[in-house]
Amino acid sequence: MRRIAELARLRISAREETTFASQLSEIVDYIDQLREFDAGDAALDGSEAASETADNDFPRPADAAGPAGKVGPTLLDQFLDNAPASLDRFLLVPQVKATPGGDE
Amino acid sequence: MQPATVEKLAAAIRSGERNAVDTVEAAFARIAEVDGSVGAFLELWRDEATERAADIDRRRDEEQPLGPLAGVPTALKDNMSLAGHELNCGSRILAGYRAPYTAGAVERLVAADAVPVGRVNMDEFAMGSSCENSALATTRNPWNLAMAPGGSSGGSAAAVAAAEVPLALGSDTGGSIRQPAAFCGVVGVKPTYGRVSRYGLVAFASSLDQIGPLARNVRDAALALGAIAGPDPRDSTCSEEPACDFLKPIENGIEGLRVGTIREVTTSALESDAARAFERALETLARCGAELVEVSVPLIETAVATYYVLANSEASANLARFDGSRYGHRAGGARSLAEMYTASRSEGFGPEVKRRIILGTFALSSGYYDAYYGRAARIAGALRQQFTEAFEQAELLVTPTSPGGAFRLGERVDDPLAMYLSDVFTTPTSLAGIPGISVPCGLDSRGLPLGLQILARPFADGAALRAARAFERETGFECRPEPAA
Repeated sequence: MRRIAELARLRISAREETTFASQLSEIVDYIDQLREFDAGDAALDGSEAASETADNDFPRPADAAGPAGKVGPTLLDQFLDNAPASLDRFLLVPQVKATPGGDE
Repeated sequence: MQPATVEKLAAAIRSGERNAVDTVEAAFARIAEVDGSVGAFLELWRDEATERAADIDRRRDEEQPLGPLAGVPTALKDNMSLAGHELNCGSRILAGYRAPYTAGAVERLVAADAVPVGRVNMDEFAMGSSCENSALATTRNPWNLAMAPGGSSGGSAAAVAAAEVPLALGSDTGGSIRQPAAFCGVVGVKPTYGRVSRYGLVAFASSLDQIGPLARNVRDAALALGAIAGPDPRDSTCSEEPACDFLKPIENGIEGLRVGTIREVTTSALESDAARAFERALETLARCGAELVEVSVPLIETAVATYYVLANSEASANLARFDGSRYGHRAGGARSLAEMYTASRSEGFGPEVKRRIILGTFALSSGYYDAYYGRAARIAGALRQQFTEAFEQAELLVTPTSPGGAFRLGERVDDPLAMYLSDVFTTPTSLAGIPGISVPCGLDSRGLPLGLQILARPFADGAALRAARAFERETGFECRPEPAA
């Protein structure tokens, strides 16, 4: 579970690890009931996956010229107002590579 | 005296019989009176609401036409954007975030002249069935303050039930409008997937999320749905089907309509009061002239498991954006970008969100993808097909909204699986993308409300509303919670 948490960029305490492990194991056991409904079950033959809606005739991005498509200076400024740190209209973040002595 | 309905309020404001400013003021007075104990609201927008109401009164005085929701005080769930206002999604990770633009559904609401009065509590990122996963406040059920209001739109349902506002918007991913509506004795509508724009709604599980209204009666919910539904090019999953007047045919009844019960939904899954209420609800539908038939949706029993795999997989991807770089909480002292991501997320997310992200990451991870996400997606497709076949035998389907009435606050917080299982009747509808309405169907032996869920084919939201109205007319249910009254 520690590995999965790392992939999800979450740090979990030892106490959380114990609680989550038993809760998640119960949930995964429950989810595992799906096995008996899959794999050769006739009910699933010819069914479409959950991505079915992707085939619908949804508007293409070019058609979607709503306000979201026009990120003007005002919207960008408002966006940057929400940023924990910014400089000259760029987001400011710690350096990608850890500083010497860092633990990454 | 029953609080005024959305329909009557708007009509009175349009005709000049009452004014919007007084109406909004009355809502704030009621909120001041009861919200200390109910705890639905996270923030009130008094100045802006009063200004908006004054503008409505001015336009009425100038004899300009007013919208169908003229002057109606409305609560917004804390995951919908209203430009310039804070939006936290019930989470510490979005502390201080201000929406730079307004959600599509909220734009339509305001264009219909409704007045947003504030934002209401919810489970963090809409993950929960009791509102207890909110990092910001505790919301109580107005019928019994020791009970949960349901979730995740618990603030929306409680605010309407306690007559703080006549209308609220909620969002529903696996039952988050319908279950709290049932617990609080109000009407909650999860429209067809694609019926209402999600532009400006914080995403939880994008293949399932849908915005809908909660109101004290079916006509009000229908009026509100008509106002917020319709195409929006900014949400590529929003249908191009134009909005329609859901109110016009709503009194037409259900005489001769085939209403199906689902064979696999057995009363053994229900608490005894809920089982009895469901039996009585079927008798009521028969009295309304419905022809009761039985249909089969065998995969319905897989819905909770399927839902929790798909929804959490999507959530793990959708919530990757909350990393402290662009908005919300940023952990201090990080020496690298990766460290900042991890620290910000670990400090900002609550336990249920972490559990679900871990579960979703697991279901999508290499080596497990096909066994979890892939399998759940296949089963969801087959379930949808089974619903399509069931709707060949019946125009509408009915189930209880939840296996029982509201549970006690704190009762299920340490048992996530038990909490998930309260969504057993609402998750199938979400996976199928069909409309579902919860309408009150009486009280249990503790005096707490129970809900009947009415389902229809995709885009037959109007048929479900019509049936809900016929049912409501026959039962004459009144939402009168004592503690908050």
